[in-house]
Amino acid sequence: MAPLQAQIRAILLPSKSPLVNFRIVFTVGSAADPADKPGLAYLTAQMLGDGGTKELTYRQIVEAMFPMATSVGVQVDKEMTAFTGSTHVENLNAYYKLLRAMLLEPGWREDDFRRVKDDAINAIKVGLRGNNDEELAKEVLYETIYQGTPYGHLTLGSVSSLEKITLDDVKAFYKSQYTQTHLDLGLAGGYPPQFVDRVKSDFKAALPLNGGFQPRKAAPSIPERTRVVIVDKDTRSVAFSLGYSIEVTRASADYAALLLVSSYLGQHRMSSGVLYNRMREMRGLNYGDYAYVEYFPRGMFLMEPPQNVARHHQIFQVWIRPVEPPNAKFALRLALFELEKLAKNGMTEESFDRTREFLSKFVNVLTKSKRAELGYAIDSNFYAINPYNDYLKAQLAKLTLAGVNRVIKQYIRTDRLTIVAVARDGEGLKQQLASEDPSPMTYNSPKPAEITEEDKTVERRPLNLKPQDIVVRPVAQVFQ
Amino acid sequence: MKAMRQPLFLLLMFAAAAFAAQPQKIFPYSYTQEDLPNGLRLITVPTDYANIVAVQIVVQTGSRNEVEPGLTGFAHLFEHLMFRGTPAYPAEKYNQTLNRIGAASNASTYADKTIYYTTFSKEDLDTVLAMEADRFQNLKYAEPEFKTESLAVLGEYNKNSANPMSKLNEALSNTAFDRHTYKHTTMGFLHDIQDMPNQYDYSLKFFDRYYRPEYTTILVVGDVKAKAVRALVEKYWGAWKRGAYHPDIPAEPPQEAPRTVQVDWPSPTLPLVEIAYKGPAYTDSAKETAALEALSYLAFSSNSDLYQRLVVQEQKADTIMSGAPDAIDPSLFEVVARVKRPEDVDYVRDQILATVKQFSEKPVDAAKLDQVRKRLRYESALRMDNSDAIASILAQYIALKRTPETMNALFEQYAKLTPDDIRQAAAKYLTANGRTIATLSGPGGAK
Repeated sequence: MAPLQAQIRAILLPSKSPLVNFRIVFTVGSAADPADKPGLAYLTAQMLGDGGTKELTYRQIVEAMFPMATSVGVQVDKEMTAFTGSTHVENLNAYYKLLRAMLLEPGWREDDFRRVKDDAINAIKVGLRGNNDEELAKEVLYETIYQGTPYGHLTLGSVSSLEKITLDDVKAFYKSQYTQTHLDLGLAGGYPPQFVDRVKSDFKAALPLNGGFQPRKAAPSIPERTRVVIVDKDTRSVAFSLGYSIEVTRASADYAALLLVSSYLGQHRMSSGVLYNRMREMRGLNYGDYAYVEYFPRGMFLMEPPQNVARHHQIFQVWIRPVEPPNAKFALRLALFELEKLAKNGMTEESFDRTREFLSKFVNVLTKSKRAELGYAIDSNFYAINPYNDYLKAQLAKLTLAGVNRVIKQYIRTDRLTIVAVARDGEGLKQQLASEDPSPMTYNSPKPAEITEEDKTVERRPLNLKPQDIVVRPVAQVFQ
Repeated sequence: MKAMRQPLFLLLMFAAAAFAAQPQKIFPYSYTQEDLPNGLRLITVPTDYANIVAVQIVVQTGSRNEVEPGLTGFAHLFEHLMFRGTPAYPAEKYNQTLNRIGAASNASTYADKTIYYTTFSKEDLDTVLAMEADRFQNLKYAEPEFKTESLAVLGEYNKNSANPMSKLNEALSNTAFDRHTYKHTTMGFLHDIQDMPNQYDYSLKFFDRYYRPEYTTILVVGDVKAKAVRALVEKYWGAWKRGAYHPDIPAEPPQEAPRTVQVDWPSPTLPLVEIAYKGPAYTDSAKETAALEALSYLAFSSNSDLYQRLVVQEQKADTIMSGAPDAIDPSLFEVVARVKRPEDVDYVRDQILATVKQFSEKPVDAAKLDQVRKRLRYESALRMDNSDAIASILAQYIALKRTPETMNALFEQYAKLTPDDIRQAAAKYLTANGRTIATLSGPGGAK
């Protein structure tokens, strides 16, 4: 019997606008990298979005796009690869002609490959290891928590793997993974109705229906004891990221409650969170402290989360921004102390109510542009939920304080964590963390009694870490 | 300049003028611009993006105003202090109120301006305008809170310090300028940041001088009606008292010779080379700003010969960025490149210098200039895709000339540019004697 004709999945948000937004998303990412070729999905995507086509060199593409002020953005994550771009509707045909060719008739040129490879290697060596301690800590956290699973390597791969990947590897990956079944065609804005059919038929004609290797879906194992990774590099301050896996995504029943808890603890780059308040506002420890239940890359550059980094597995994560080295141990103790307090006491009616109100309205800000709304729509499709704005409001409305406090008891913990620090003198920090010596805090101004009293507990809070729980890695070896 | 429509005479305290959109204007929205008697300016831009309002409050003060030695970084510290509360809205209550209304709220400090932004649902317009009015007029923080906040600023310096671009910028500004306050960055010098806890009294002086209606513009963009906004602003901000302070920003003397500075970075990184030239102050009534902006695209954008050669073909650099001067006082035209191997730094530097020479001597193709004009127009259209983005774009122009009209005027300058205008601007400003070259390298390059 002939297989049913698959329909290309199109996610459409037409509107009266002079602009058109594209989000062409493939539900395949670095989780599909062969075990010996981490970074393959990433390099393949870069060759498409940052290289020439069969007909045009990269230079010719840049020349053609320049007067239209258009470009193609490439974002690769574990389970999604997104090609994004926007154009004025006056340039729709000209832009789409280029975009179509980039994705469906790639040029696979050696000189593009060399450039794109170098960029990827430098993104690891300089972008992460060299110049961004905070993102480095976060990615080491993910690598450690997910070790042994398809998520267990950096999406960029590793320096040695990137050096070895060939153009044939990339072409083979494209052929087997860029398929109709993996495709979500997203369009928003003022495109003419007949444009959609044209795009659909182009992709249907060019791409194979089904693809090759699908990675096994495996949840990470939970460590027996808390483990610490210290990345040793020459740097001014100590950056922390800590967390543990949670089997909760947007599709889960507990999602809205857990989102509410993370917002209460530390809404991204806002002053409302408990961690921000107790660590930065009251004590001046650092620039900020936040909590997450979804992957949020490059948070230091963004005020709102990106779209199209949807995943089937997530972690609960706390981000402690760089602290002065003498205060590092105290800062870690304080963050864990706050988590423990929350796990023990739960939230109050007032804080529950207020945080729920925040999330119910802030979602309007998150979806304020058609471009963002389209991104959320594609992610909602991935999670098989209703459009995000409606979905979240409905889920939040159903929450109760008792329900949220149950979720806190179930998910918030301070044992069997993974903790990552990026610091100078890694061995010194290791010795500090492995000892239960108190870490008293001193301040440059008088503190209210409740802080000084609390400090007496915090500064001696047991970390329960043995030397064998802590590993120090020189930065040059990370993602190498 | 565009002629103003006759202002409507109203029985209210102030006159309003409304500018209707013209089809060929780059800023396509109708807006209302009006001044209260105390000097506060209000600009309201209704848009079709439903339910959301973006309020950006632009204060025309920044690190440029830090004229006293030992006190760099105060405009930025002050931006932090603006979140520390008032008698009516102590910090916790302010944060909780913002929280309840689901607002996105933050602020940024620059050389010429400090911008406070809040994006929220339209039903909370009254609350936001009231709370903002309160902290702009009644901010009150005690010394212990001041000292704690200065530590958060140090924390910000620490998190920036991982990125060599921050260090490079600091060295470049310090070397290029002698007397003007653009000599120091908005973060300020580390030793001044470390001394901040001792400067409580100076911080209060800063508020008193600059957080005044004559330095402030309220920009409201989104699902709003101008009349309703006006009424609220009048209600909450009308009693704000005008100040009397005018800063004495030292003029930068002409640069007589080329300058260089080298920054040694302690850990492996890719080398950076930055070449900067003394340029003119922002203008929308003469060609220079427009000409240098266009030059920046023609000479150094991803479509330029230099970029295609260095980044795409030869692959000796992996990034080239440039920016034309667009500040209140004369500032820098900058080109920065990240070089892939230390041995190529001199070559990349020389290629940039050769490009500058070429553009100073030879006019560009008229066709290429037309492409830049097209790009500038489409770029603006593409950026303005929600109320928040529109507010952010306008705020930058308001900081310069306190009106969205300057954006239109600047684009009219772009429309009139000729290839020889570009050449003349390059020849006049991108000269050896006005030049500073800053380089940064790690120990033996990236491992």
